[in-house]
Amino acid sequence: MNFKIRRAAKEDCKDISRMIMDLAIYEKMPDQVKISHEELERDGFCQNPLFECLVAEVPEEHKSNEGFTVTGYALYFYTYSTWKGRAVYLEDLYVMPKFRGNGIGTALLSKVAEIGKKKQCVRLQLSVLNWNTPSRDFYAAKGAQDLTVTEGWHAIRFDGQNLDNLANEAPKD
Amino acid sequence: MTFLDPWGQESQKQGSWRGTIHVHSLKELAEYENLAEHVKVTQKDLEQDGFSKNPFFHGIIAEVPEQHRTKEGHRKVGYTLYFYSYSSFVGRAIYMEDLYVMPEFRGKGVGKALMSKVAQLALAAGCHQLNFTILNWNKPSMDFYLGQGCFDATATIGYHCMRCEGEALKQLAQL
Repeated sequence: MNFKIRRAAKEDCKDISRMIMDLAIYEKMPDQVKISHEELERDGFCQNPLFECLVAEVPEEHKSNEGFTVTGYALYFYTYSTWKGRAVYLEDLYVMPKFRGNGIGTALLSKVAEIGKKKQCVRLQLSVLNWNTPSRDFYAAKGAQDLTVTEGWHAIRFDGQNLDNLANEAPKD
Repeated sequence: MTFLDPWGQESQKQGSWRGTIHVHSLKELAEYENLAEHVKVTQKDLEQDGFSKNPFFHGIIAEVPEQHRTKEGHRKVGYTLYFYSYSSFVGRAIYMEDLYVMPEFRGKGVGKALMSKVAQLALAAGCHQLNFTILNWNKPSMDFYLGQGCFDATATIGYHCMRCEGEALKQLAQL
């Protein structure tokens, strides 16, 4: 199947938002999605964007049953390792189920790696759910190491009321 | 006893120390985490990447008054380094890359002060999450953080941290 990987434009945010929800459903946490295409437009297409995004597009003749030609996306941003320097974090990588097996996921992932390399990034990092075997296998086949398994790293988070409480304890300036 | 210096104010005026404390503390943190040989970043890298027009990271220093300086003369006794990230579910977030306090200054609220300052800055910037990672054997840190109200997304939800680097990353970029 023919497809094209390109940088997302502001107009793609509705499609990206649609696929973010699909991904959230797949990850069994649809109630966690709090932002819509409006926040994506504001945060990804301003003067200092908070993220970058690539989309996969198929020709009109291969569009989905619902009429979508944008059938995959990769959303990422730049991070920093105090040990190694610049890095890129792949927040989401998603391909619509009917379009899998055509190399779209690989193309999106390697494009992110290439973009990161051009910016002198020395690492590409991401998270995957432990029960998500197809994804774990996909990334392992691409040479990713599972640092939770090999080194014992755990992802920790403050949000909601706990984040508010912590912030309220900050020393006064 | 401590004051926090939001990066770029007092620090910029002082000039010459910039970067010194960080490589020193980075190496101590790396040694604690048994991974010292992995520190490749130099003082120059930190200066370039953290103090340009669009910095890759931000930092906060904990500094003690002159009368509490260490035997070696250090007044900067802790730091945290963070950057802005993005969650496709909730939007803007903050990632705390490092939090470190020199051993003889622990147990005095310095770590808590640094972390809560990051949380305050996170909320002021419209962030909805403060994320970071810790090693599962690092019990003092685990206990400290869980005591502050965070949750372990690896233990509770099953997130695994993955990384591609070196030769694997090079090959991936060439596909």
